[in-house]
Amino acid sequence: MGVYIQALVSGLSVGGIYALLALSFSVTYTTTKTLNFSQGDFVAFGAFIGVTILLMLSGAPDFNRLGPDASSGFRYPVAALGAGLAVGFVGILMFIAAIRPFAGKPGMNWVMSTIGFGIILQSLGLVIWGPAPVTVPQPLGNDIIRIMGAGVRTQELLILFVAIVVMLAFDRVMRKTRLGKVMRAVAQNPEVASLMGINLTLVMAGAFAFSSALAGLGGLLVAPIASASLYVGLWIALKAFSGAIIGGLDNPRGCIAGGFLLGLVESSVALWQAQWREIVIFLLIIVVLSLWPNGIFNRSTVDRA
Amino acid sequence: MISGRPTRRAFTISTLAAASMIGLGKRGFAQEGDILLGFNGDLSASPAAESAQAGVKGLQAAIDDVNAGGGVLGRKLSLIIRDDLSQPPKSIQNMSDLIDNQKVVAVFGPTNSGNAMAWRHIPNQKRIPVINSLSTGTEITKPISAGADSYIFRVALVDRQHVSSLLAYLKKSPATKNVGYLAETTGYGQGGLKDLQELGAEYGLNVVGTEKFDVNDTDMTSQLNKLRSAGVDSIAVWAQGVPGGQLLRSMEKIDFFPTMVMSWAAANTGFLQAAGPKLAEHPLFQRPVPVSLNPHQQQLFDRIMPHVASPTSFGYVAQCYDALMILTLAIKQAGSTDGVKVREALEDLQAPYEGYIKTYSKPFTHDNHEALTAKDYDWQKWKNGEIISYSDDVIKSLTPADFKS
Repeated sequence: MGVYIQALVSGLSVGGIYALLALSFSVTYTTTKTLNFSQGDFVAFGAFIGVTILLMLSGAPDFNRLGPDASSGFRYPVAALGAGLAVGFVGILMFIAAIRPFAGKPGMNWVMSTIGFGIILQSLGLVIWGPAPVTVPQPLGNDIIRIMGAGVRTQELLILFVAIVVMLAFDRVMRKTRLGKVMRAVAQNPEVASLMGINLTLVMAGAFAFSSALAGLGGLLVAPIASASLYVGLWIALKAFSGAIIGGLDNPRGCIAGGFLLGLVESSVALWQAQWREIVIFLLIIVVLSLWPNGIFNRSTVDRA
Repeated sequence: MISGRPTRRAFTISTLAAASMIGLGKRGFAQEGDILLGFNGDLSASPAAESAQAGVKGLQAAIDDVNAGGGVLGRKLSLIIRDDLSQPPKSIQNMSDLIDNQKVVAVFGPTNSGNAMAWRHIPNQKRIPVINSLSTGTEITKPISAGADSYIFRVALVDRQHVSSLLAYLKKSPATKNVGYLAETTGYGQGGLKDLQELGAEYGLNVVGTEKFDVNDTDMTSQLNKLRSAGVDSIAVWAQGVPGGQLLRSMEKIDFFPTMVMSWAAANTGFLQAAGPKLAEHPLFQRPVPVSLNPHQQQLFDRIMPHVASPTSFGYVAQCYDALMILTLAIKQAGSTDGVKVREALEDLQAPYEGYIKTYSKPFTHDNHEALTAKDYDWQKWKNGEIISYSDDVIKSLTPADFKS
């Protein structure tokens, strides 16, 4: 029994980060019909911005000597806020440089331009921080919490908690506020929304800022588990994207569910044959796309009604 | 270097790599008439990159020493460095570029065994000697087809010999009844797993489970729980440092700590950083460099290690230094940089060489391309964040007859 609870707990905690990033893909897809193909680089960039803030706040001499308390107290939340804001700002830059010239036009130029932007970002990161991964201490300590025989790290619970809070808040904003209405209007029909006096460019830039901020936050959240590395973002973003595809890219709730589902599939396949994990995941994507081309959870009218 | 601040060294390497990628100074700082040598390996991307960053320092130091002594055959040596980012296609491309465009006479590297397996046909076809002084995959140095000449030599640990020692330990350990294997899904992990399975059968170990994990995984609890359910009391792990550390973190989650032997990647700082000093104390591993250095080794240590971020990387520095010196001796003996002649000289090296790992006397023959063997390895463990020499009753009782190959 403990084995299955462990798989459930592990799957949910990995799934939390996938869900957060799957949501970030969905946000820009619904508003601009484009995606940031270098979201993984944004994750890595966010992790390093966060770690740099931790370094400055803790007064440690270098990344090698970040003490166990470097993330404690207010430092980690400040770093998370800083990472979110900084990467959100980079997201706006990317929108101006790599999306706006191509959004809404036929062709897939934005695919290449976002990938290119990511390469620039990664190269900049290499110059600033170097290729070495950095071990980040956990803000809530290194203890293991036991739940019915299964062990979970405090950071994994934190990821799950933050992911759920962010997603509930996002859901509420989308459904209950004027801003949400505006976003949904743009998603439904940009031309009409524009005629109604909505500033399309502003909404789209805002969507990219929010999406990138989520990536930055995700980077710092996952850093104490996977360590901060300029190369770590790619596989996380790829999995998150898979989750978004499974859940339905234009359905934020579906994306979140898809992210969690993917985490659970990963940990349960590992209970059977770990080396089959990637094969199972991508077979699952093919099956889902052939049966439900818009994702399992997509009811395309719900969000737009 | 698995963890560390962006040191000037790392910056220099990435700048060099960037410069080489965009074609700036394709020949580095080589002068006309220099003997060109190549390095092709991962300097930045995989958990093993720290070994190559240290290794290149060793190569460069040896080149400086050779050049200061007048060079070889009256010519200076010069090193061209290519980062393969641990990607096999990039590594293959680098290999062709070094041999065909840069016209190097020998290549060092790679960092990752999987990449060596991806390109080993190239130097063998083009008859360019490769001295592998970092990656440990057993198959790398074998000829492409039975009876053919192999152009790949090694001055590094060999997985098969390392596996043999570790399994000999488990075989003799009275606490070991049921063994489990855990390996990452890279070429390195899978090559090591093959050695584990073949040798485990020869030792007659009772293997009750085999599990795999991805090099980027952060949670291996499912795999570990399966092994625990199967009644495993001892595990042999083949993985790079960081995933090895993640494995220990997962072991802590489910509070499952069987007797553990692991590949020497456990000695990398990345392992220590990922596992933390307490968990890092679990696995037993081997390295070719003893913990307490002799004065000769200490000299090289003091000269190079201040410029290397990872304090446990001295073994790589020494291996690479020795590898370059052995190549130099072979070129001298051959009186030529021709690949065939250099290979023949390497396989019949007359002059003994007092290196930093050991004194090499006829390190290679036509059928043996491994300069280091299991008896050159030292048993070690982590203790309070430092590597210590380790011994217990089982190790003391091991005799040469206990090792199979």
